[in-house]
Amino acid sequence: MLRRLLLARLMDLAVVLVAVSMIVFAMIRLIPGDAVAIMLGANTEVTPDRIAALRAQIGLDQPIAVQYFGWIAKVLRGDLGTSLWTGRPVVDEIAVHVWPTVQLTVLALVLGAGLAVPAGCVMARLRGRGADAAMRIVTVAGLTIPSFWLGIVMILVLATVAPSLQLLGYVPFSQDPLGNLARLAMPAFALGLPILANLSRLVRSAMLDALGQDYIRTARAKGVPERGVVYRHALRNALIPFVTSVGIMTGYLLGGAIVVEQVFAIPGLGRLILGAIAERNYPLLQATILMVTLGFVVVNFVVDLLYLAIDPRVRG
Amino acid sequence: MARMSFRSMLLAGVLASGVASAQVLEVAVDASPVGLDPHRATAFSTFQMINGTIYEGLTSIDKDLRVKPGVAESWTVSGDGKTYAFKLRAGMTFHDGSKVEAADVVATINRVLSKEIASPLASRLAALDRAEAVDAATVVLHLKEPSAPLLVSIATIAIVPRSMEAEKEALQRAPIGTGPFKFKEWQTNGFVALEKHVGYWRAGAPKLDGIKFNIVPESATRQVGLASGQYTMLPNIDAATALQLKGRPGVKLAETLELAYSFVGVNTSRPPFDDARVRQAVNYALNRQEIIAAALFGAGVPGGPLSPALKDWVTPVSEFACYKHDPGRAQALLKEAGHSAPVAITINVLPRQDIRDVAQVVQAQLNKAGFKVELKNQEMGQFIQDWRNSNFDMFASTNAGSPDPDDYFFRTFRTGGSTNVFKYSNTELDGLLDGARTMQDPKARQEAYAKVQLMLACDGPIMHIAYGQLFTAMRANVNGFEIIANRSLSTLADTSVAK
Repeated sequence: MLRRLLLARLMDLAVVLVAVSMIVFAMIRLIPGDAVAIMLGANTEVTPDRIAALRAQIGLDQPIAVQYFGWIAKVLRGDLGTSLWTGRPVVDEIAVHVWPTVQLTVLALVLGAGLAVPAGCVMARLRGRGADAAMRIVTVAGLTIPSFWLGIVMILVLATVAPSLQLLGYVPFSQDPLGNLARLAMPAFALGLPILANLSRLVRSAMLDALGQDYIRTARAKGVPERGVVYRHALRNALIPFVTSVGIMTGYLLGGAIVVEQVFAIPGLGRLILGAIAERNYPLLQATILMVTLGFVVVNFVVDLLYLAIDPRVRG
Repeated sequence: MARMSFRSMLLAGVLASGVASAQVLEVAVDASPVGLDPHRATAFSTFQMINGTIYEGLTSIDKDLRVKPGVAESWTVSGDGKTYAFKLRAGMTFHDGSKVEAADVVATINRVLSKEIASPLASRLAALDRAEAVDAATVVLHLKEPSAPLLVSIATIAIVPRSMEAEKEALQRAPIGTGPFKFKEWQTNGFVALEKHVGYWRAGAPKLDGIKFNIVPESATRQVGLASGQYTMLPNIDAATALQLKGRPGVKLAETLELAYSFVGVNTSRPPFDDARVRQAVNYALNRQEIIAAALFGAGVPGGPLSPALKDWVTPVSEFACYKHDPGRAQALLKEAGHSAPVAITINVLPRQDIRDVAQVVQAQLNKAGFKVELKNQEMGQFIQDWRNSNFDMFASTNAGSPDPDDYFFRTFRTGGSTNVFKYSNTELDGLLDGARTMQDPKARQEAYAKVQLMLACDGPIMHIAYGQLFTAMRANVNGFEIIANRSLSTLADTSVAK
């Protein structure tokens, strides 16, 4: 039963991947602005035969279906293609950019999701009192403050408070662990704050919902201490929508937090994708989006597995 | 196992302290290079990182925009101007250790001209018939006709090892040149790191141990980084950024007048701009001082077809009658050309903040003079496509300049020029441009270009607006850096940072 469930989910995910690959493939070719014209630039001699040669080299002269199947065949063999501008394998470009993004995702989630659960529980416990209202206002602030503004403000404040600290850019963890974490702290905070705001409100309302259920009344009547009522009974039920949200947010974060990356000069997937779009770097763009989709899909699969652990109703 | 990791930590600590005492200049730039191959990647983002630092040409351009020796220590020109003999310096090596010889220069020229490489620089060698390595230290260029811009043009043709002649991709990510700095690492979207070339031909240079070009797209981040000392230099920045850094403690600015200019250009193959009177009307309608004050923060001067930085060649703007702001005259000209109602046009705007600002002021000014302007703020790819296909009434953009006047005119205004997207054709102008390229007498050349400027200023397809101020912001303890109007960072060879 369990195995059939998992297999069915895996099939769904495969379908999603194929569909996304087709849609992305078609969509990026619909963006106005010829890739070849951009590659040849606005300041050079461009003769028709030079344009034709470059189009043939990229493969743009073939019908779109042929281009697609050619590309998919290579992907299934593990060849993601080469970047149009630099000729470097796409896999290398993604590999270099994926680690900052993964680190930022993890740190932002630890901050955002990690603090959201206790914050949401506290808000649910304090419901109706002044403290709850105050916290809800703070979360609205957290939701509405734009990350790029927050990022720039943090940089400016830190520059005046501690001007000698080197906190911009990115250093790989293997090279300088402390420097790496110091530089990622501010962007992780800028990313994590809206997540914290969003998820803590989610946990609060899910908790309140759970606490109003009949089984809670039963548990209290049975004499379960209040702490056990809240954490053992209500929280586990509240976690289901929470886990769903975290899964979706993780997927988005893995796609690269473009604005935060721009402000803090972090070479992550967001900047890679943005650059590829501007250059019409089709091979890089297709493959990167496909990888990001794969990440999204895997994360959601893991969330499904977590449901199995949290919610006995799914197992049955 | 534990002992090994302790030892490696110790080693790392030693290495780190050794590296910390090396003087690496932390530079912050806003855009990634498109590639590091000097013959294929000609965008400014690449040029400022490689010209004069990694790569050198036979000649080089100094801060006064004059030609001086580069890889060639001297040269002679034959009487008829068709033969140039360059004597190369002795004892020069490439970054890979191989000796620089005449064969490398010939291979470089062949690479630029090859159809495989399809270099945008090929047109700079249009007058070349063949290049010859007479001996290991002498290169002779045989030209089909005299070429006045040649010495300036070859300053931008980087000398590469002869083994690279047929190589198409290798130099994009692993440059090998003769310059004071050699390539160390390029982390895409992260940074480009250069280190000192120990065998550089000039004794005592470079003073720095390395340069790190950090790619930081957000302007506020770059400014904060410079003010706090994390970055030491922001090269070739615009007035808006520079003026925000002016007066900050620990920061100083270097400035010069740009070679590049902002402008609006028109399609002369279709109405309304096929009529020269309508083009003149645009010039009368524009108030260039107002544009500079409003869009460029006052950091710039009105200019015609040549940059005022080219002191030997430029015709002063006061000699162009149509540069006098006169909306009444503009409307009269439009009426004369047969337009009674406001002339409706669209302007395609280059997606750059300063050009967007300029276009808005231009729109307001043209609307007061009998036009009805719609601005089209396009995305870069779309802009380039429309530009290339001449799919525009008018477009607002910026063009790069050069220390030689020929580069301002030939490609852009001659019939069939490679960037003549205006479909402009003026046989008298063509004659002047063709002739001025081959003139060896500077005075005759000056007269020819004076005529060209008068011809283009009011009736041409480009309404030149302004030449801005180019700035470089740096920490106060940076010594020996000079800003050059062509945006080259070659003076980094003599730059040092005081403690």
